[in-house]
Amino acid sequence: MSAFTTTRTRPTATLTESITAGGGGRRHKRPYDTDVTRLLPRWLLITVIAVIIAFIAVPVLYILFGSVNSDVAVARGEYFPSEFTLSNYVNIWSTVALGQGLVNSMLTAGAVAVASAALAVSTAYVLVRFRFLGRLTILRGLLALQSIPGTLLLLPVFVVFSNIASATGVQIIGTRWGLFVTYLTFALPFSTWVMVTYLRGLPKELEEAARIDGASSTKILTKIVLPLSWPGIVVSAIFAFLLGWNDVLFSTIMTTPNTRTVAVVLQVLGTTQEGGAVPIYGQMMAASIVCAVPVVALYLIFQRYLVGGLTAGSVK
Amino acid sequence: MTQVQTPAPRAAEQHDREVRPHGKTPLYKRERPLWMLLPGGVLMLAVIVVPLLVGVFIAMLDLDQYTLRQWFSAPFIGFANFAEAFTDSPLLHSIWISASLSVLVTAVTVPIGVAAAISTQNRFPGRGLVRSIYLIPYVLPAFVVGTFFRTMLQPQGVVNSILHTDVLWLNGSASYWALAGVMVWTSWPFVYLLSLAGLQAVDNEVHEAAALDGVTWWAKLRYIIFPYLRGPLSLAVIIAILHNINNFTLPFVLFGIPLPSSVEVMPVLTYIASFQSFRFGLSAAMAICSLVIVAIPLFVYLRAVKLDTGDDAGPDRKQRRADRRTLAAATPAAAADIDGARA
Repeated sequence: MSAFTTTRTRPTATLTESITAGGGGRRHKRPYDTDVTRLLPRWLLITVIAVIIAFIAVPVLYILFGSVNSDVAVARGEYFPSEFTLSNYVNIWSTVALGQGLVNSMLTAGAVAVASAALAVSTAYVLVRFRFLGRLTILRGLLALQSIPGTLLLLPVFVVFSNIASATGVQIIGTRWGLFVTYLTFALPFSTWVMVTYLRGLPKELEEAARIDGASSTKILTKIVLPLSWPGIVVSAIFAFLLGWNDVLFSTIMTTPNTRTVAVVLQVLGTTQEGGAVPIYGQMMAASIVCAVPVVALYLIFQRYLVGGLTAGSVK
Repeated sequence: MTQVQTPAPRAAEQHDREVRPHGKTPLYKRERPLWMLLPGGVLMLAVIVVPLLVGVFIAMLDLDQYTLRQWFSAPFIGFANFAEAFTDSPLLHSIWISASLSVLVTAVTVPIGVAAAISTQNRFPGRGLVRSIYLIPYVLPAFVVGTFFRTMLQPQGVVNSILHTDVLWLNGSASYWALAGVMVWTSWPFVYLLSLAGLQAVDNEVHEAAALDGVTWWAKLRYIIFPYLRGPLSLAVIIAILHNINNFTLPFVLFGIPLPSSVEVMPVLTYIASFQSFRFGLSAAMAICSLVIVAIPLFVYLRAVKLDTGDDAGPDRKQRRADRRTLAAATPAAAADIDGARA
């Protein structure tokens, strides 16, 4: 089952069930009486789910339909395609540098994911297992840093990077390195916090035993903590990846057309094509789907860790 | 364990934090690999703390594109940028737009998220699929969501053709409602996730007691289930407000630059001031003002979150924060705003 496993499995034989079973096993009239944990009557349950799914599906199906429709028909305001075509998915690669953008995004966000997970594990390990002055301040700082608006830091980061360039001759702005360092830093507070909550759930006893056997902290980290904390590592890596993949703010400023991430490629396509004579909405929808596919795939594959790793376990 | 702590051990604890109440040997006192904090610490110092200070300094300079290369020798003008931001720029208007929008959107998403969480709490065939579908709006990158809603909301677009209207959603006053609607669409699953965590805290015995008393479904929700959700929901509300205020990507992609004045939110205003009009000093001053606005919900958030496990904190502290436990448990999920806390 790829479904969520966050909800605790509840004992199936409930109180009411055993009462009714004792009463001769006749079928109960009210359907929601069979399970005491039931929250909504059936008609309401179906209504709520149907309404919410419709609310989600109308726009999502619109991109799917739009991506296989002709540009002109989408611009006319058609919802269902009157003619089916896959040409948008073919043409979009030559219309804009979507492939280049995907490569840039993959390289930057992928590197950020690996680096931030590695740093997060070691930082969180120290924060969880050792006591030292300033530990609580660091924990609080991690939460606060997540909430600093990116727009506040964009200009100063830009200024600092361009000063480093003029002082040392090493160009940072416009390269993937500049984005990598920036995203890595912004991903770190959250990744570390994920690892902190995860490592807290691991039993200390294994590490204590290893320490008595004479293992060093580094050895304990690599041989004991690391193998046990894969689910947490996956979660923090994926969120770091998403931060890099989804960012528009920094990549509009800190990239050149060659190093643009896919988010900026799509954003630029969206704003420039409207000035043209022929709107290419169909291709834009196809490009949107191409940009969304890696993210949705990551979610489907790691859904259990992502939702379960974050909420379950830590909930009493 | 609610044992009353006598003053004596507490005093001892203050002198030596390593002393545990239950007298365990402080094994980890020795060989603390604090150097492992260094790489992350250096990065955050270089990319967050230093730029933050630089930003404060820039806010007091008359800095434009000509002086940017030698920014430290730009004319120092003190608080003139702040004065201009408040009297002669759309900043106050933007603060109002951002704050009202984020409160409005958060208020609308709460009932949707709670209803969604309640609807998937009980098992039924296909529940896993429904839960996966619920997360779609949240999983899609904000720039993708912005792009397709931008297409749908065109004057000739599908929204107008379905509604048989010709509203200009991307210009003028209707754009406020367009942005609010799209923000609701993408952000409600966040409330849903936290409500789900809250619902799991309801023990089976509680359901059984309610069933024995024969309460109706609404009374059960209202008086039994909702109180369980208060903690997670208040956390969700604070974080959602923070993220909505900081949302840059959605308005930027949805409307493009220049933004219609009815959706001129703070992050985009700051962006325009530096990278469209090249008034760097003014922009930094605006950014600092927006940080002050964000600091209000942020402060509430930091106060509400429990930083340590009960094992680390003292017993009386544990007692005091017992009701906040569910809240803290949900924190990481809370911060996991996919469309980016600062995007």
